[in-house]
Amino acid sequence: MGWLGSSLLVTYMSLVILIPVIALVGHAFTGGLPAFWDAITQTEALDAIRLTVLVAFATAFINAIAGTAIAWVLVHDRFIGKSLLNSIIDLPFALPTVVAGITLVTLYGPYSPVHINVANSWVGIMVALLFVTLPFNVRAVQPVLESMDFSAEEAASTLGSRPLRTFIYVTLPTLVPSILSGMGLAFARAIGEFGSVVFISGNEPFHTEVASSYIFALSQDGELNSAAAVSVFLLVFALVVLGVFGFLSRRISQRIQ
Amino acid sequence: MKRRSLALRFVALFYVAVLVGAPLVLVFQRAFSPGLDSVWHSLTASDTASAIRLTLVVAAITLPLNVIFGVGASLLIVRHPSKFSRLLDTLIDVPLAISPIIIGLALELAYASNGVFGRALAHLGWQIIFSWPGIVLASAAVSLPLVSREMVPLLREIGDSQEQTAATLGAKPARIFFTITLRSVAWAAAYGATLTLARIIGEYGAVLIVSGNITNKTQTLTLDIASNFENFATQQGFAGAALLAMISIGVLIVLSLAKQRERKNYEYHD
Amino acid sequence: MSITIEKVSKSFGRDEVLRSLSLEIPTGSFTALLGPSGSGKSTLLRLIAGLTKVDSGRIWLNGVDVTDVPVRERQIGFCFQNYAPFRHLTVEKNIAYGLKVQRRGRREIASKVEELLSLVQLSDFATRYPHQLSGGQAQRMALARALAIEPRVLLLDEPFAALDAQVRGEVRTWVRKLQHDLGITTILVTHDQQEAMEVADKLVLLNKGTIEQVGPPSQMYDEPATDFVRSFLGPLTTFDGVSIRPHELELVPESASSGQVVTITDVVRLGFEVRVVVDDGADGFTWVQLTHDEALLGNYAPGQRVRLRIRRESHA
Repeated sequence: MGWLGSSLLVTYMSLVILIPVIALVGHAFTGGLPAFWDAITQTEALDAIRLTVLVAFATAFINAIAGTAIAWVLVHDRFIGKSLLNSIIDLPFALPTVVAGITLVTLYGPYSPVHINVANSWVGIMVALLFVTLPFNVRAVQPVLESMDFSAEEAASTLGSRPLRTFIYVTLPTLVPSILSGMGLAFARAIGEFGSVVFISGNEPFHTEVASSYIFALSQDGELNSAAAVSVFLLVFALVVLGVFGFLSRRISQRIQ
Repeated sequence: MKRRSLALRFVALFYVAVLVGAPLVLVFQRAFSPGLDSVWHSLTASDTASAIRLTLVVAAITLPLNVIFGVGASLLIVRHPSKFSRLLDTLIDVPLAISPIIIGLALELAYASNGVFGRALAHLGWQIIFSWPGIVLASAAVSLPLVSREMVPLLREIGDSQEQTAATLGAKPARIFFTITLRSVAWAAAYGATLTLARIIGEYGAVLIVSGNITNKTQTLTLDIASNFENFATQQGFAGAALLAMISIGVLIVLSLAKQRERKNYEYHD
Repeated sequence: MSITIEKVSKSFGRDEVLRSLSLEIPTGSFTALLGPSGSGKSTLLRLIAGLTKVDSGRIWLNGVDVTDVPVRERQIGFCFQNYAPFRHLTVEKNIAYGLKVQRRGRREIASKVEELLSLVQLSDFATRYPHQLSGGQAQRMALARALAIEPRVLLLDEPFAALDAQVRGEVRTWVRKLQHDLGITTILVTHDQQEAMEVADKLVLLNKGTIEQVGPPSQMYDEPATDFVRSFLGPLTTFDGVSIRPHELELVPESASSGQVVTITDVVRLGFEVRVVVDDGADGFTWVQLTHDEALLGNYAPGQRVRLRIRRESHA
């Protein structure tokens, strides 16, 4: 691969990602640190960020449990339709977020055919986030469960340990690193999610407006510098959380070995 | 043990049914309950037809660009370590950690006619934001790492001994690239390309910001679905959504086939 | 095809892998480059092939300086440790690859491939893909693919390392015979001294980027030039403070007139060979290699006291 090839590649990536991100950071600090601070400490901004972070955490937590249970069923259980279950898990990856968004609000909104209405509330936001992040949690745990050395589990059961005890004291500790890394990915995705959330959330400022929705509103109002400031904050936050989850996951897996 | 595992199976099935299965069923039910004629009318209505056309054009431009970029970047990262390749390796995954809304905003800030870069381009008479090039940029950005993420681990795993063997057999670099390198990662590249296509067709947030969302002009299919839904043309919105859902299912099928083929080529028989 | 290596040096970063190494390999010989990992043996093989460039020094093939000739023009057959099969091509297309590069006619390619398939005993596997082969079959395919271009030299990098112990012996014998029949100058890299002595007619023992000794296997075993060669080529034990091959020692009854009195601590039977571990009161691990018959005659058991001495015949 020649010098020309590599320069073309770097140029393409610069146009698509590098220059825009530099422009974003530049705009975030156009008015210096005070303006940046001002933008991210607006009540509306703080409310949106708080809501996003709390619901994202709750989502990651719930799906960590549900995702692990589903992965366990996929690996250990046998029943007709299991492969269908296995394929449908990836649907949220492939389904456009806008399709998820309008469908979830139709199914679990004010005109719900099953009479469940969680629209315009944090529960609605969480349902959308649970939907889009489920594959992260399942797929992080599933391969580890598949490749797990069952001699430890079997040894425990021959020692008379009951299945639940076996799971809690033998299986779970080895799964923790992958559960954590799945949670990290799910959390990072949840923090930035837009399409699947905006329809069901109602986007009411101070109440059901998530961070990405707030950034969008700012950009539509022409407040680009504030939008950039909140974006940079959210970006750094997501990277830090991803880093922390990754660190914890590596740390724990080292200790187990 | 038996009863508990049965209960767990039931809980898992129930969770997935409520969260993923029911929405999927609902999309098709809403789209098709008024009959196939109505779906056809919805998809051929001027705004939706124009949105489908734009989506296809954007995909036709972005997909080859990102596949070529992904293949090239993977080779550079794995086979030709340098300052360039390290820069690529660090930056290439960035889009996966960023909200699509932020990617859209960043592109607008860089390329809008009053933006850093956009002013110069505007002088040349090139409009990027609120026009199709912006949509192409947004689609390219959100799907940038999808090919290389599939290819890099595979290239590392297979190593370069096949390529070196071909060289000892007299093959020139171009021949080695086309007959060995490209062929041995073809399925991974196809897998990545399918993911890329799905992402380009399905992108909403980033495109929403850079396109300006102008009906019949800069609306892609996802934007058209959203605006129909918001403007109480629910039926038309769900027709488009069902089309996208069918594409997603097709994508999942292609992905599982590609994964099987890729796995098959490994390990000796004994 | 003779190979001459003249004062070749190679470093990777700060790591000096080969230091001004010179070596002469005669036409038609089967040479083993032997040494521990990190001795530079694989690097030397890659330099001869042209897969890696020398830092300084020259490499000559049949009197022609090929130092700056690219790999593809050196006409060398190279087999990687993992066989590097082209996974997307069938066995016959793997073998035909080099012939197609040379733009040979379709008929010629077909007959040449057929001939090679039968040479490596893979005629029934022509249309299989590499993942449908066993390790041994994949290796034979790699050999046929390398031989197809009628290479001037055959270079084999740890060719038996990935095979099962049982198959390994068979394949070694087969490769030895193939080399003998074709008469092609062959160099093999290995870390296994037994393997090197079994197949090669010339050994090159490398250590830390330089050559320790070159010679026929038997000569190097019997007349090692350095302690390193001595310890690398066969087992050693200590007796009376000096290191010695365990088969050069013998056990005699306690009542014998000469030898040091020791206590047997363990007897390990390995088929024909029997290892008797003894405690001679000194530090170090002392053991004696006996034949099955000798061990039977002595009826040795742990706890028994015997005398240990150097064999008479090896005094001479």
